[in-house]
Amino acid sequence: MTQFLQQMINGLSIGSVYALMAVGYSLVYSIMNFSNFAHGGVIMLGAYFGFYFLAVFKWPFAFAFFGAALGSTVLAVLLERVAYKPLRMRNAPFLYFIISAMGASILIENFVIATIGPTFKTYPQVLSREPFQIAALFIGRLDTMIFITSAVCLALLVYFIDFTKVGKAIRATAFNARVSALMGINTDMIIILVFAVGGFLAGVAGVLFGMKYTVYPQIGAVTIKSFIAAVFGGLGSLPGAVIGSVILGLLETLISGYFSSQFRDLISFSLLIIILVLRPIGLMGKPSEEKA
Amino acid sequence: MFKRPKRCVVTLLCLVLCLTLGISAALAAEQAKTVKLGWIGSLTGDQAVWGQCELNTVKMLAEELNDAGGLLGAKIEVIGYDTRGDAMEAVNCVRRLTGQDKVVCIIGPNASGQAIPISSILEEMKVPDIATVATNPKVTVVDGKTKPFNFRVCFIDPYQGAVAAGFAFDVLGLRKAAVLYDVADDYSQGLTEFFVKTFTEKGGTVVAKEAFKFGDTDFRPQLSKIKAANPDLIFMPYFFKEVALSSNQARELGIKCTLMGGDGWPSEVLIEMAKEAIEGSYVVNHLDFDDPDVMDFKARYIKKYNRQVELNGFLAHDAFLMFVDAVKRANSFDPVAIKNALETTNVKGITGTIRIDKDTHNPEGKEAAIIKIVDGNYIFQQKYAP
Amino acid sequence: MDWFYVKGILILSGINLMAVLGLSLLTGFTGLFSFGHAGFMAIGAYAAAFIGVNLGLPLIVSLLAGGLVAGIISLFIGRLTLKLKGDYFCIATLGFGEAIRLVLDNVQVFGGARGWPGIPIRIDLWNVVLINLAGIAFMISLVNSRHGRNMIAIREEELAAKTIGIDTFKYKMISLFTSAVYAGIAGGLVGYYTGFLQPKMFGMTKSTELTIIVIFGGIGSVSGSVLGALLLTALPELLRAFALWRLVAYGVAVIFIMISRPEGLMGGKEITFKGILRAIGFGHKHSKAREV
Repeated sequence: MTQFLQQMINGLSIGSVYALMAVGYSLVYSIMNFSNFAHGGVIMLGAYFGFYFLAVFKWPFAFAFFGAALGSTVLAVLLERVAYKPLRMRNAPFLYFIISAMGASILIENFVIATIGPTFKTYPQVLSREPFQIAALFIGRLDTMIFITSAVCLALLVYFIDFTKVGKAIRATAFNARVSALMGINTDMIIILVFAVGGFLAGVAGVLFGMKYTVYPQIGAVTIKSFIAAVFGGLGSLPGAVIGSVILGLLETLISGYFSSQFRDLISFSLLIIILVLRPIGLMGKPSEEKA
Repeated sequence: MFKRPKRCVVTLLCLVLCLTLGISAALAAEQAKTVKLGWIGSLTGDQAVWGQCELNTVKMLAEELNDAGGLLGAKIEVIGYDTRGDAMEAVNCVRRLTGQDKVVCIIGPNASGQAIPISSILEEMKVPDIATVATNPKVTVVDGKTKPFNFRVCFIDPYQGAVAAGFAFDVLGLRKAAVLYDVADDYSQGLTEFFVKTFTEKGGTVVAKEAFKFGDTDFRPQLSKIKAANPDLIFMPYFFKEVALSSNQARELGIKCTLMGGDGWPSEVLIEMAKEAIEGSYVVNHLDFDDPDVMDFKARYIKKYNRQVELNGFLAHDAFLMFVDAVKRANSFDPVAIKNALETTNVKGITGTIRIDKDTHNPEGKEAAIIKIVDGNYIFQQKYAP
Repeated sequence: MDWFYVKGILILSGINLMAVLGLSLLTGFTGLFSFGHAGFMAIGAYAAAFIGVNLGLPLIVSLLAGGLVAGIISLFIGRLTLKLKGDYFCIATLGFGEAIRLVLDNVQVFGGARGWPGIPIRIDLWNVVLINLAGIAFMISLVNSRHGRNMIAIREEELAAKTIGIDTFKYKMISLFTSAVYAGIAGGLVGYYTGFLQPKMFGMTKSTELTIIVIFGGIGSVSGSVLGALLLTALPELLRAFALWRLVAYGVAVIFIMISRPEGLMGGKEITFKGILRAIGFGHKHSKAREV
């Protein structure tokens, strides 16, 4: 029983990291209908920003944290301007966006390897590694912080999208970009805004990831799991992305804990595919035809 | 109807290639009396940490040698190509090194997965290769046949696994071991296989054998399971990034037993990140870090590159030593003569005495150094052979 | 310029081309995006090597058998996932590719993650070229047939294709099957060229590389794929002088071609005999390069 509860805690904490990353995919997807594979690269750079602000420039933690988030916000917008806007202007199909995104992610990863170097970097210890102990259960301080930060960020995001005027414009654009433009919404600004929000969350995710694990150029590869979670939850749906992430985290943990860690991904992928076959639009997806 | 455009494209491509390569070849031809030494490995991609250190080492040693008057009156020029960890690219690199650059010998690559597929090219072009950390036995011997042009400077997986198991059982007196390993990594699987084999043969029990997949950063599900099995020791045969993460997580989960690892561990970064977690752990290593020769090399490297030396640097150092020694004894830069000389290598390197066995092309009788981590330092314990 | 080295690049281009041709049918002509083609290559590679080594069959038979095994497995995948929306199919193939690798990592008969050395080397430039010519010829006749046109219809507008009576599911299956067979043959070539197989060789990077080549060459163009495979296999070799910056340059090149020429190199056009004649000044003024 203790082991089961401990595994549930492990799963939740893995899932909350996936969730922060998955939301970025879903946000961009809801507006632009393509999976932004360069998102992992932005998260990685966010983690490096945080590391430099904290360990090299010795900023206080809160400053470093926001600095990193702002840095990756700028980067995400820049990425959109350089790699996607020219494609948007030509109404290119989503395939081209994906390839452009892949090119960008190769570029970002290897740029970091070539400049900063391939060795991983360690964040200075901000929180004690000593876990909380409740009976025989161990809960990491960082895990708790990540869980809370994720929850706060996601709640703010939901508030922003659902209850503000700008959020309404974003939802309108997601629903039908052309009509929204006719209604006087500046869709170009909306897209910048969406990338900015996605980039901000990527920065938060990057710093948290770096604090919890470490910083290295291949962080982007981890985000493939969060992408899977986003699709599973229903691409374009924010609550879907969160729920999908938590489910994937729990699923992985329980499979390694109770079946076979050797075949973990095989079993979890098969389960996901089975669920998708039964419910083809993802858990919370909108049943609409592809726009691209 | 498609033959023609294809041929046309091929010619065009060849032209472009010719131009680029012709220029570089012309530049290279200017310097008289230089001999080319090749290196291949990962400069980009997942394994770039190790590859970059190897190339830096080889370049530094060649420079030092050239400043001291060169080798047999010739200057050594190092040509290093990136494989980004890909087997097919490794094959291309070797084709280029042997066919175009006409190197006399190749050092690297830093993984068995690249060292095995290049052997047919080496045999075709008759150029020897000294692998740095390719620890799979099949790099030099496949189905009982020795590959004539493949050599290595490191010890092999069965040996390292057996050393770890033997030391844990006989010297530390531990009886219940758990293994956590990277299922997608050849090195990790190799070590695991031979650790488990030796440990159970000696009478110990492996109470848990859990896997993760390269790229994972969270090992708590597996560690929680290992914790429930209550082992005396966890064997962690993988590289230091994952070691740092998994050892920290193990301690967070309240696992208190001894940790043990192989030659993927030693690194300053590991201490930096997991100092408390790995305190008191044991590492099977190639060398004693406090050896004066090792300290000297380390100091030179840090002075030149302002970076820490990774383990591969030491092995690349010895591979270079093997090459220089072979050239001197062969008294020639003929690749086949170098290959013949390599077969009778007996030279003292910083990772121990390297005596190449003619039948296996492996360094035989190289003793492993057991290292304990005490107060954040790698402290040499003893030499150990199973 | 050394022929031995060029030959190596050409053989590698040929191997890539085989896989790219198949993927071109799936992505370029049918509009389905796959992230798991390296998985089909892996199946083909291991099957072809197993058949050739253990049963002693000749090269061409073992290659075809390898391709067929990959094709049959693709039918199972397709049956489950081709009814899903594009992105879900994409995830399914991604999961499948990773799963195949995981299985091979664990199967000790084939050496597991440690690989399978000692496969006889049977590939030289001439047989790669012959196999490729056969592959190209078959692909051209397929895309120019009624079946090929049906697939293009699906890519352009699936709903409309369905309305005029095209069995979209069936054609998607045929497309997936054919592309898996091509990938399987390409995998077989890998094994017989390097004499060594390791699951690591067929990772996500390989799949993305193939997709990049298809889009780079121009979707819906066989000659584009040929050109793309040759150029993009040679490109990293040409960039050797950049050393650490090699993949950065590669990433830049990919983004650049996407934003400056998003229709790819050939942009849906084909190089034809007539087109060449026209280009060098012969032939009729009005004859236009055939568009697909």
